[in-house]
Amino acid sequence: MNRKLILRVLGSMLCIEAIAMLPALLLSFHYRDGDSAAMGQSILVTGLLGIFLFFCVRTEKDAHLRLKEGFIITALGWILLSLCGALPFLFSHTLPRFEDAFFESVSGFTTTGASVVNRFEGFPRGVMFWRASTHWIGGMGVLVLTLALLPKLTGRSSHLVKAESPGPSLSKLVPKTGATAKILYRIYIVLTAAEFLTLLLLGLSPYDAALHSLSTAGTGGFSNYGASVAAFQSVPVEMVISLFMFLFGINFALYYKAFLGDHIKAFYKDEEFRWYAGIIVAAILLISVFNLSFYHGDYWTSLRYSIFTVASTASTTGFVTVDYGVWPAASHMIIVIIMFIGSCAGSTAGGIKVVRINMICKLSRRNIRSTGQPKKMEVVRMDGKAVDEATLSQVAQFALMYIALWLLGALLLSLDGPFDVLTHLTASLTCVSNVGPGLGAVGPVSNFAAYGPFAKVVSAMLMLFGRLELLPMFILFTRSAWHKY
Amino acid sequence: MRIILIGAGKVGYALAEHLISEEHDVTVIDNDEEAIAHCSGALDALCLKGNGANAKILLEAGVEKADMIIATTENDETNMLACLISKRLGAPYTICRIRDPEFNESQMLLQNELGIDVAINPERATALEISRLLRYPFAGSIEHFAKGQVEMVEFRASESDPFLNIPLKDLVSRVPKMPRVLYAMVERGNQVQIPTGDFIFRPGDRVFVSGNMLTITEYFRFLGRNRLKVRSVMILGGGRISYYLSRFIVPMGIHVTLFEVNKEKARLMSEMLPKVDVILGDGTDEDLLEEQGLSQTDAFVSLSNRDEENLISGMHANRCGVPRVIVKSSRMSHLDVLTDLGLDSVVSPQFITTSTILRYVRARENSSGTRIERLYRLLEGKAEAMEFIAMKGDAYIGIPLKDLVSRKGTLVAVIVRQNKVIVPFGNDHIEAGDHVVVISCESGVSDLNEVIYR
Repeated sequence: MNRKLILRVLGSMLCIEAIAMLPALLLSFHYRDGDSAAMGQSILVTGLLGIFLFFCVRTEKDAHLRLKEGFIITALGWILLSLCGALPFLFSHTLPRFEDAFFESVSGFTTTGASVVNRFEGFPRGVMFWRASTHWIGGMGVLVLTLALLPKLTGRSSHLVKAESPGPSLSKLVPKTGATAKILYRIYIVLTAAEFLTLLLLGLSPYDAALHSLSTAGTGGFSNYGASVAAFQSVPVEMVISLFMFLFGINFALYYKAFLGDHIKAFYKDEEFRWYAGIIVAAILLISVFNLSFYHGDYWTSLRYSIFTVASTASTTGFVTVDYGVWPAASHMIIVIIMFIGSCAGSTAGGIKVVRINMICKLSRRNIRSTGQPKKMEVVRMDGKAVDEATLSQVAQFALMYIALWLLGALLLSLDGPFDVLTHLTASLTCVSNVGPGLGAVGPVSNFAAYGPFAKVVSAMLMLFGRLELLPMFILFTRSAWHKY
Repeated sequence: MRIILIGAGKVGYALAEHLISEEHDVTVIDNDEEAIAHCSGALDALCLKGNGANAKILLEAGVEKADMIIATTENDETNMLACLISKRLGAPYTICRIRDPEFNESQMLLQNELGIDVAINPERATALEISRLLRYPFAGSIEHFAKGQVEMVEFRASESDPFLNIPLKDLVSRVPKMPRVLYAMVERGNQVQIPTGDFIFRPGDRVFVSGNMLTITEYFRFLGRNRLKVRSVMILGGGRISYYLSRFIVPMGIHVTLFEVNKEKARLMSEMLPKVDVILGDGTDEDLLEEQGLSQTDAFVSLSNRDEENLISGMHANRCGVPRVIVKSSRMSHLDVLTDLGLDSVVSPQFITTSTILRYVRARENSSGTRIERLYRLLEGKAEAMEFIAMKGDAYIGIPLKDLVSRKGTLVAVIVRQNKVIVPFGNDHIEAGDHVVVISCESGVSDLNEVIYR
């Protein structure tokens, strides 16, 4: 294992994080909420550590990054990133306890959006802006950003992107990893800017518009209001945010294809997108029907809340416009199911990913059919192309590990919180899927504040496992990962 | 440039590695799941699984926007078809690996029809390289520059050579009779360097000298190495390289004995090569070799399909005192190890193919930016020789070389002015339009202005 190379890459990543803190510092100067010193100190600590690692650790000129090292960099990188990201909360005394600050930071970077803060009023705006920026940075992946900005760091950089980007296989847009990363970030910036401008037009203050755009783009869910998006009390704002949550849950490669000249065809030609759109439409319709009697037959109100809640949950954002904790159980079941599924691979969203669900469905269908006709040869197709058996078995194993982690997480959470089974199960799922709110005591109008310190650290780890799609984090816990060779 | 590589075998992979390190956008297509998985893990390239002769896959790889298509799958037909389809889909330049001698005959006829701009025959290229080595039996490798007018020959310095133990700058005064060649490069241990005036040669160094053909011949006559002329060669294995090699060297008056264990193949060889003694039998069998006069032969060339067999036979021939032993290895990575075993001449068809294709790519690139005419890789890629054309208005024009600063690790080895070859010393200068060969110990040089400046 090339420890020096690992440290150097981590150093460059911290430098990028320090740079990403600058906008929050500028805003803190602008608003004078007394958090300039905290932001400044955080930048200093993060930046100096990054510069030290990057410039003081010497590596060979053509050091090759091996697969294992790529995974370790990703896992360690995200932990380190979250630790440094927690500094502004600690230094500004907004969240003086370490486990709270760490939870908030992890929740930000993993684009979960779960919080331990009950009241945001009186929070310094610079730190709040940093909180929302973590979503944006974590959404597309900080190592991808590092690669886009510092291309010649190491050979074989695709290992890093592979470990960080969601989905069963890495889809490159152009031959060079660095160039691919740049294209992805351009799409990301354009979409974020589009949302920011639309929200401005709808009358939001620039600060609110920026914060919610960053939060939506990463499919995170942090808001600067305790009531989340409900605070705006505006149907157009809800619909615009719903639309953008849906858009950020789509594989970014499709935007590139559409831009290259496939236009709208790029989307409906893509099988995963069809499933994603289908699942969302079905969930919206089902929930609005289940909720009809709850809203006393008010069809439009039911549809309005259903659209926002489904878009928010399926894209694993976690914005809230209504207390869906009081909805009927059937609606809750739909919410849990779409929480589990999540969005498309190659997007900024979490969950098990639609493409995997699609493959598992086809795999199950094949298994059922072959019981009656064992000699029949049948390939599983995706977008009309045969999927190889190794990928299928990886997908099936991933799903099993995902469920196992969910249940194990719920067990660990139940050790440190006086709640019912529903709360623990949905809290664990919402962390692994990077959604944000769960049901029961962690429902849309409450949060993780009532859990103990142990449970908070456990949930933070669950979020990291979910964001990095399990394997990079699991590798950290194997003994062979730490061997020198 | 945007380059599509079809086939991710040994050659394809090595090519991809080099092209990526030279900042090209590379897309690799291969039908084999494992090969593609390996590539996408190790290369910064777009890797697609599929048949390279399939228009759909080629379109997915962006063939219409590509600058070059290189087909190096193991299958000639696939390569040719891939080039044909790519050309029809709008690719401007195609390079195709064609191995079968049968195709080779009709290749000239078909090359235009098939849309192939360059056809590479690895076996033929390898045979050509071996035949050069046999002409200079003491040489480890020979490179030709400026359409063959200039040669650079590699040989191992031995105890009796007169240029040993004298600083390079005093060589002319201390050994005045020795023909003046340029000492271009030395490899000592694993270290490649360009000798400066204070450099002192030691026995065992791998020395590279360059000059025109006449001077080189005189030089080696002076060193007393011309006695080793090859008159008879033993070839192990009756494959394609053996076939081409025999075709090249039999007209040179060299007697060839060829060993082939397979009856069908031996018969075929005998049919195609009437002047060659084809022996049906195992060429690794010591007794058989001795019976055919191994210890009297001038050269032994081991060309079987198995690297291990080639190695062992080569070492055996070496021990029996055969003055010239050439061994084929299909691996490109362990050439250093073989040199340590005393086998000076190892040829690798893959290596030769890769460097030939790279030369074309770089020459092609010339029209889109950098100004390298041709690029040669020396010493397993540890050094490079580049052919530039001196441009009017460049800073170095007309100034004696001794007054110019030259980049560390580089050397101006040859200047060719209107078909006249100049092996440059301090007082020579470069004129516009000259072909200039530069040797460099590091890669990344792309302009003559980077090598010499005021």
